[in-house]
Amino acid sequence: MNQQSNQPVNLPRPGRDVMVVGVGLHPFGRFPNQDLAALASDSVVSALQDAGVRWQDVPVAYFGHVYYHGMSVGETALSKLGLTGIPIINVENACSSGSTAFWQAYWAVSTGMFDIALAFGAEKVPSGPVTVTSAESPDRYIGADHMMGGYALRMRRYMEETGAPATAFAQVAVKARQNGSLNPFAHRKQTYTIEEVLGSRLVADPLTLFQCCPTSEGAAAAIICAKNALSRYNIDQTRAVRIAAACLTSGTYNGRGSDHSAFSPYRTEPAALQAYEMSGLGPEDVNLVQVHDAASIGEMQQLEALRLIPYGEAWQATAEGRTALTGDIPTNTDGGLLAMGHPFGATGIRMIHETVTQLRQEAGPRQVANAKVGLAQCSGAGDVTTVHILTK
Amino acid sequence: MPASVDPQRLKLNGDDEVTGVLIGFRCLDCRVKVFGQATFCQSCASSNLEPVEFSDSGILFSYTIIRVPPAGWPGPVPYILGEIALPEGPHVLAEVIGIRESDLNIGMHMELTIQSVKVTGSDQEKAAYKWRPSNTELSEEKANQ
Repeated sequence: MNQQSNQPVNLPRPGRDVMVVGVGLHPFGRFPNQDLAALASDSVVSALQDAGVRWQDVPVAYFGHVYYHGMSVGETALSKLGLTGIPIINVENACSSGSTAFWQAYWAVSTGMFDIALAFGAEKVPSGPVTVTSAESPDRYIGADHMMGGYALRMRRYMEETGAPATAFAQVAVKARQNGSLNPFAHRKQTYTIEEVLGSRLVADPLTLFQCCPTSEGAAAAIICAKNALSRYNIDQTRAVRIAAACLTSGTYNGRGSDHSAFSPYRTEPAALQAYEMSGLGPEDVNLVQVHDAASIGEMQQLEALRLIPYGEAWQATAEGRTALTGDIPTNTDGGLLAMGHPFGATGIRMIHETVTQLRQEAGPRQVANAKVGLAQCSGAGDVTTVHILTK
Repeated sequence: MPASVDPQRLKLNGDDEVTGVLIGFRCLDCRVKVFGQATFCQSCASSNLEPVEFSDSGILFSYTIIRVPPAGWPGPVPYILGEIALPEGPHVLAEVIGIRESDLNIGMHMELTIQSVKVTGSDQEKAAYKWRPSNTELSEEKANQ
């Protein structure tokens, strides 16, 4: 059967309302003296404390990570909290591994399998260029498997078609660093000027180093609970944040077989449209956004694909400050991948952490005014996209 | 004779010059043409497919210069990575050779070229597909100088 790529398809049917009741982060950075399980369990303890939920009351856990650190790392991490015998599922979905674990946790609770679920993710990303394929892949000889190379192709094309100047892309990184400087968990807290961003060394022209996210280590965790079970577990309802949409898609064919076009909604748009339909909300209702800014161009294209800004205009919106903390589309308020860094398995749940923190009005110096509806979008290889919408 | 870097995407002609053609399929149901062999159509999931050979030329859709190569890259650093739009629709990413970075322009005509590359950590070679400016681009450049 033919399916148009931009139509929402196979929208799952949610059951009962589900709330995020606790979030936790291990700082992002480099931690040579802590193994992956230690980072992960640290974030879980923080989330349990934040939720006021006992570990013995968690009946299922989903763990996002990508790089190999031995088998069943999720079980190893959680064994330090006590062997409660619950199902623990290890999830690999590239850069969307964490947000995929969160998506699975949501559906496990919404459909009634469990009242509570833990989603957590951790990563220790090695230094150097990130590749998708295995070392034996033909793409290593063809030269096409280069994550930042792909972003650079899109950026060059976007500049050609929209007339966006290099300074607009640098502004994405400047803004990310400003937000990150207000966040004690960020990998990179130093701020830069537009000139310093453009003057940093080239990674893949026209992308300079400071427009590419650092590869990082870190962990993030979230505890979710069915709304109708909150009182049973004595959970503070006033700090609970509702999950209004949880959507996950993989690729559809775009007629080209690669996705480096200037206007490239096809990866993200299906998940976004599903999320808007599921939540009954539209782009105009969203007043807080976390998107996958692995490179500066990524933030602009995701904002356009989410229909928050018309195609080809995100660079102007960025230059005008509309995506800053004080703008009308505050984006990547915790610093995003560009300042937080990008531990793959943790990133998607880090976005949930920031959205929840903002909606609870607990974000301190980076608090966005009137944050009621927050959207978190995470991309991964395989054209994976997750879009979650949270409301308070 | 080097083997094709990926027999699913590059069919060698078996001649001494090491020439070849990019291959894929055409879907007889939805008519889409896809680069690389497959079992089912990536667009409509039909199995009613026929093999196709693609044009050996296309248009430069975008490009970058890779300054920090991925592990296992056997070629020079930096190298130019080009995205070429084939007239049949698919886009094909590969190294661009035979042109200076400063002479690259989106929209240039490019043509396929096959080159042997060393397999990392072995004496073997593989035939890889690359792009270079077509002769018309080169003669225009000469005329402009």
